[in-house]
Amino acid sequence: MENIIFIGIVLLPMLGAVGSWLMGRRSKKGRDVLVQVITFLELALTLYACITCCDGVFHITACGINLKMDGFRCIYTTITAFMWFMTSMLSPQYFAHYHKRNRYYLFYLITLGATQGVFMSTDLLTTFLFFEVMSLASFPWVAQDETPEALKAANTYLAVAVIGGLVSLMGMFLLNRLTGTLVIDKLYDACKSVTSRGMLYTAGGCILFGFGAKAGMFPLHIWLPKAHPVAPAPASALLSGVLTKAGVYGIIVLCCHIFRYDHTWGWVMLCFGVVTMVWGAVLGVFSINLKRTLACSSMSQIGFIITGLAMCCLLGEHNALAARGVVLHMMNHSLIKLVLFMTAGAIYMHTHTLDLNKLRGYGRKKPVLNFAFLMGALGIGGIPLWNGYISKTLLHESIVEFYAETGLFAVKLAEILFLFAGGLTVAYMTKLYVAIFVEKNTECQEKYDGIKNGLKPSSAFALIGSAVILPILGSTPWRTMDHIAEMGQSLIMGGHAHEVHYFSFVNLKGALISIAIGAAVYFLVIRTFLMKKEDGVKVYVNRLPAWFDLEDMVYRPLLTKILPNSVGTVIRLFGENRLLTPLCRLWMRAASYVTGIFGENKVLAPVCRFAVSASGICARAAADSLDAVTLLLRKTVFKDLAPNGKRQHRALDNEETLRAERKAAVHEGIADATDRITTGFSFALLVACFGVCIILAVVLYSYFAK
Amino acid sequence: MILLAVLLPMIAGLLIIPMKLKNRNVKLTLMMIVLAAVSAACVALAAGGESVCHIWQMTETLSLDLKVDDLSRLFIILVSGGWLLTGLYACIYMKHEENEDRFFAFMLLSEGAMLMVCLAENLTTLYTAYELLTLVSMPLVLHSLSKEAILAALKYLFYSIAGAFLALLGMFFLYKYTSTLSFVPGGTLDMAAAVENQKVLLPVIFVTIIGFATKAGMYPMHGWLPTAHPVAPAPASALLSGLIAKAGVIAVIRVIYYMVGTEYLRNTWVQTTLIILALVTVFMGSMMAYLEKVFKKRLAYSTVSQISYILVGLFMLSGAGVQGALLHVIFHVLSKVCLFLTAGAVIFLTGKTRVDQLTGIAKQMPVTIWCFTFAALTLIGIPPTGGFNSKWYLASAALEGMNGVFQWLIPVVLLISALLTAGYLLPITVQGFFPGKETAEIRRIKEPAPMVIPMIVLAALAVLLGLFSGGITEFTGSVASLLG
Repeated sequence: MENIIFIGIVLLPMLGAVGSWLMGRRSKKGRDVLVQVITFLELALTLYACITCCDGVFHITACGINLKMDGFRCIYTTITAFMWFMTSMLSPQYFAHYHKRNRYYLFYLITLGATQGVFMSTDLLTTFLFFEVMSLASFPWVAQDETPEALKAANTYLAVAVIGGLVSLMGMFLLNRLTGTLVIDKLYDACKSVTSRGMLYTAGGCILFGFGAKAGMFPLHIWLPKAHPVAPAPASALLSGVLTKAGVYGIIVLCCHIFRYDHTWGWVMLCFGVVTMVWGAVLGVFSINLKRTLACSSMSQIGFIITGLAMCCLLGEHNALAARGVVLHMMNHSLIKLVLFMTAGAIYMHTHTLDLNKLRGYGRKKPVLNFAFLMGALGIGGIPLWNGYISKTLLHESIVEFYAETGLFAVKLAEILFLFAGGLTVAYMTKLYVAIFVEKNTECQEKYDGIKNGLKPSSAFALIGSAVILPILGSTPWRTMDHIAEMGQSLIMGGHAHEVHYFSFVNLKGALISIAIGAAVYFLVIRTFLMKKEDGVKVYVNRLPAWFDLEDMVYRPLLTKILPNSVGTVIRLFGENRLLTPLCRLWMRAASYVTGIFGENKVLAPVCRFAVSASGICARAAADSLDAVTLLLRKTVFKDLAPNGKRQHRALDNEETLRAERKAAVHEGIADATDRITTGFSFALLVACFGVCIILAVVLYSYFAK
Repeated sequence: MILLAVLLPMIAGLLIIPMKLKNRNVKLTLMMIVLAAVSAACVALAAGGESVCHIWQMTETLSLDLKVDDLSRLFIILVSGGWLLTGLYACIYMKHEENEDRFFAFMLLSEGAMLMVCLAENLTTLYTAYELLTLVSMPLVLHSLSKEAILAALKYLFYSIAGAFLALLGMFFLYKYTSTLSFVPGGTLDMAAAVENQKVLLPVIFVTIIGFATKAGMYPMHGWLPTAHPVAPAPASALLSGLIAKAGVIAVIRVIYYMVGTEYLRNTWVQTTLIILALVTVFMGSMMAYLEKVFKKRLAYSTVSQISYILVGLFMLSGAGVQGALLHVIFHVLSKVCLFLTAGAVIFLTGKTRVDQLTGIAKQMPVTIWCFTFAALTLIGIPPTGGFNSKWYLASAALEGMNGVFQWLIPVVLLISALLTAGYLLPITVQGFFPGKETAEIRRIKEPAPMVIPMIVLAALAVLLGLFSGGITEFTGSVASLLG
């Protein structure tokens, strides 16, 4: 029974995908309903699996698939199913005017199955298998619009996915070789006994490359701020909320199993985490595109999570706070981004723009949108009583704890940057909120006000339903979030936790500092430096120069120009035309030269003469056969160059020249052909001779050596 | 039974031209019946036990013999299956070409010769079949009789003959040092004499392997492959690239694992040099494919690279290496034949030959490009498709069996090449499915069923065998344990 449920969770959406595709060819409406039914069934099935067969294990040996349900996996499969269900509620309205929706839904459901597979996997090979299916199946989401930007972003997404996937596969080869197992639960013990740490770090680095790229970790984040804005909003919500978490899942395995309590690894991850966190937030502050800001925010939040994972490594067995913070921040970020991206989608489907200056004032007098967006903004800003606050507090406390333990300045710096990034989060969310929901649009405010919420009941349900969860979780942390955090320890392996006083002053202080920083940044930077007056109206401007982009500056030129050109040139040098053919000619020259030198020598002269006559015979034969070939060519290939009926109708004075031209062309063609044949032929002869000579030389040598 | 499998296609091939059947349908039906019969015979052979068929005693010691053993079981299934599907495809493809009788005749003859290579019991038979294969497959390259095709065919001929010369040299020497020219797992080398004369014998073996590897397109004898394969009609390219090139692989396996034995070569300069050459080919082939813009040429360069994957596995001289190599043989056959067939379908139905013309092609021929995509994923080695398995075995064989620099160099080269493979195959899919808004709505072209079925079968097999790889992994494992 368990087996059927487990495989059902993966296969139901995949089979449903085919079903919806077939259905979609008959009726669009029916397809939309079918998709909603499938995602709902998936959610129900997942919940049922979580309740009834927690800790169940499932194997298919033939293809090496191993699945399991336990605490963490329950949380994430449920969140995944929930998010798919909510986005499927919004999708019909969002996609109402889209083409090729069938394609979208097909891949939408396939990705659901694969993602569930990733989160249920118990060994890295299964993880990787579903991870690749997920990456490839989600590619069409990004390209859905087929605009040039979408295609470019999709290509980047695909390139990162493929390169990342293959590199992490290489890491798994290495890991398997070092430890003999890829089963997640056994990795800690297996890795402890590995003596060659260098190799283990290499393996870990390779695996991190693939999963980190998907998670959006600096410097592999390039796809993230590009792909999210161009994908349809429901897809962005999933990309940002769930697919990046699949990458995090891999990083958890690295930090909490392979390198559990490993300080070196912890420090490296801390660097990556802090850079990702701050850089994402800075990009978010600069951005003036609604979804791009949210995407940069995702990157930044992933940085928070990675920082937390680094703390799990660094704090050793006392990592309870960090471990719980990681689980909660993952979950919170998924839920918050679901709300925010769906709101962005609800805005986009009426305005068809994401530019903050054009969106200005759209949200006024739209209570549903306002409520949903506000909940999301407060949640992600880490405001007390909303869920983001709880997880950020835990993560912050873990850094403080580590500082108290070590007293290193680097840790203090990390803490400061943590609060700073939190402040920037508040700043860019305020920027979005003020622009869309507070300020007035000078051009089309009336038109915007005319749209009343602009939501169908199912869409409104999706927005409100996912938004109300955030404050509920945030205001009852002991009843809800603590239990979820405890469940999540099945994968993260945090130490024993004591109760946290979330709303004590010590903990509130961090949030207050962040809010203060956020307010300062908003008023001192965003309202001044990042805005300018145009025709008497203050507009948002993006002060980041267009060329300032890691992808266009480094990666693309490197992969499409520099590498192929440099390596390609070298490779061509070794190809037949540059190296082998000249070699062949050189050989012939050298042979005749050597024959000349030894012409008088008593011993060598006969040998040379023999060689010359032998090659003479060969050459004669070659020449004769070439004559035959030339004849053959004249009869066959160059027939079409010979004068034909049509051309003779041309003017008479041209006839002479034409005939001459044709003659020249025939001769040129034959010369070219014979040249190519001789080189080919002489190369073949050369190789054969070469073999003979080597063997002859060796035989002679061994004969005389005796 | 063995004789039937080899002679049936040959006789049928010889009969096609003189029979001059006026009715095309009758002719094609007869051909398909022959191909199906050969496939059935091969399946029966593979399912049956080991059997030997003695054809002709040339001298007291030299004879032509055919034998079914584990290795040939695998290859005859691949070969006969490949020919059956490609034959079906060719029924449509060759409709517009002239001289299709000649094409079909040589296609059937090549199948006979190829099966003979697979089933050869000793080196003499192998050599004879190998030369025969070169001669009867040359007209496939020559088929269009264009200038390019003739030159390419001559190049193919010269290279193959040069390679065969080298191999022949080796034969003379091996004859002296082995107790018999028959293939026996583990080799038949007279160790005492061989070790004494190592200085002579090693270069000889080296030269022999280089000679046989010519057909497999290994550097420095790769030059003919990217020239000859693309100019042939698509079904012929598929056969040449997917299957006939494997004749070189079979010969190399036979020489290394069935005559010389792994012990004699392990850790000698021969092994080192061969691995380096194969790795150079892997990298060079995929790099050239990445730079190439003509669709079929790109696929041909890809063959150069992929077959050397197999050779790298073989040159590692370990059981795991052989297993990886054999798995890669299977998946390369499936995916490369499929890729060439899709390329042919595109050329046949739209006339587009260059990669940059293929924007939006999937709107016209979605099924074809879907097949292309799955075959491409297999070739890259992305799970759950099959290529993933073979690369897994190759890489782990390198990590476990090799020491020194190769331990990491082989996986790294394989990785880079896999990335390049993704780089030269996936853009076709991507631009095919997502041409961007500016291209106008394009009319759907219906592919004829006999063209689509082989592609679908191959692509599906590539994916399904990857997903349920238990059986073939076990089989290749058992072959490998016998040899390694």
